[in-house]
Amino acid sequence: MMADQTIARVEPVRTEAYLDFLQMLTGVGLVAFMWCHMILVASVNLDLGGGRVMNLIAYFFEATYMAQLGGPLIALTMVFHFVLAARKLPFRAREQKAMWRHTVNFNHTDTWLWIIQAVTAFIILIMGCIHMWTVLTDLPITAAKSAHRIQGGWWLLFYLFLLPMIELHVGIGIYRIGVKWGYIKRANRKVLHGFENKLTVIMIGIGLVTLFTFFFLVKAM
Amino acid sequence: MGRTLKFNIFRFNPEDTAAVPRMDTFYLEETDAMTLYIALNRIREEQDPALMFDFMCRAGICGSCAMMINGKPDLACHTKTKKLPSEITLMPMPVFKLIGDLSVDTGTWFRGMNEKVQSWVHTRKTFEPHAPEERMDNALADEIYELERCIECGCCVAACGKANMLPEGFMGATAFNRVARFMMDPRDERTNDQYFEVVGNEDGIFGCLGLLGCEDMCPKKIPLQDQLGVLRRKMGFSQVKHLFKAVMPGK
Repeated sequence: MMADQTIARVEPVRTEAYLDFLQMLTGVGLVAFMWCHMILVASVNLDLGGGRVMNLIAYFFEATYMAQLGGPLIALTMVFHFVLAARKLPFRAREQKAMWRHTVNFNHTDTWLWIIQAVTAFIILIMGCIHMWTVLTDLPITAAKSAHRIQGGWWLLFYLFLLPMIELHVGIGIYRIGVKWGYIKRANRKVLHGFENKLTVIMIGIGLVTLFTFFFLVKAM
Repeated sequence: MGRTLKFNIFRFNPEDTAAVPRMDTFYLEETDAMTLYIALNRIREEQDPALMFDFMCRAGICGSCAMMINGKPDLACHTKTKKLPSEITLMPMPVFKLIGDLSVDTGTWFRGMNEKVQSWVHTRKTFEPHAPEERMDNALADEIYELERCIECGCCVAACGKANMLPEGFMGATAFNRVARFMMDPRDERTNDQYFEVVGNEDGIFGCLGLLGCEDMCPKKIPLQDQLGVLRRKMGFSQVKHLFKAVMPGK
């Protein structure tokens, strides 16, 4: 009998619950990191590109070994998060085609948001790794060194592209975590979705201002 | 004078081995308070008696006439043509087995789903037909009723990205709604682990991508989003608690 099957089993298989929980946990952790990262980098704006505040913050993270240990840990968390989340992605051509056809025909906002998240995930994985390798193999971080990189030109284009990718992924990600884990409900979905959109725009704005400061105001080494 | 509506309708009869899927075009003068149900019946009566589509109640209760209307799943009987542009494309719902043209077999799918989630009250009590029914708090009864309103039309499944991606396995919001309904019911004696056995996997709640196509398309406005969230949290957190207990035995 169907009913007895569930009762007869001694222990349910819990792996998929753990993996989904870890996906959420690493996601929330990385979102928190990215927002903190943005605030710390944007500290270069505080003294109009003088870099004193940013250098002090960077010094604090290196003196406490948070950059040396935390940096690679963040990289590992990102890769781990990618592997966990990629379990949900369609990798077979048939599945990809079905998902794409559904998204285009259905034309539904939240379904499009998921597509954006899936596409940005691959971009962030590659560009994020390049960024982390470049920064972490050239410690200590200073405003002058960052400015030197950005004023070279190509890195400015690199960050102008990476910035919206990350902020979209992060913004949509935290909204979708809220939805999936029941914190965003029917009653508050509209308000919180609007809040998330505004936050994403603000974060991209802060990022653009910071890039402007690095390009024009900070004295490169 | 009403608009002239242009209908692009999917045509295919899987029973006919020579048939090839195609789109047929029909034109119809729009009348007052015209619904798609009325339009389809007129097309069948006046233009093509072979057109296949399902309907029964004409009042949004039976769930038979769900189809893809300009890309979005909805019930033909409660969709007014005046809310649509003059060109209307009608397709059968994906995921379900096609019977012909706009008609799909939701029945087999829903039967399978209900069996999979064991959609009945599990109790060890013996039913006493002459005893007065067990009392239930009114507010709780209302909450359960809210979820019981599902008419099994299949719109939530057709709107689901995951179900479209993997039509074979994924349970869909309607199944989670069923489970949530029995979890609420004090008469059902299933434990969290027993519910977990049913929905605690990738075909179940952990496969849900949270795209909310179901929530936005449900013609009965059942609060599906809230059920998905609560179910994932209950199932997920109960397993984390279990892990902590396993790692730190004692209390």
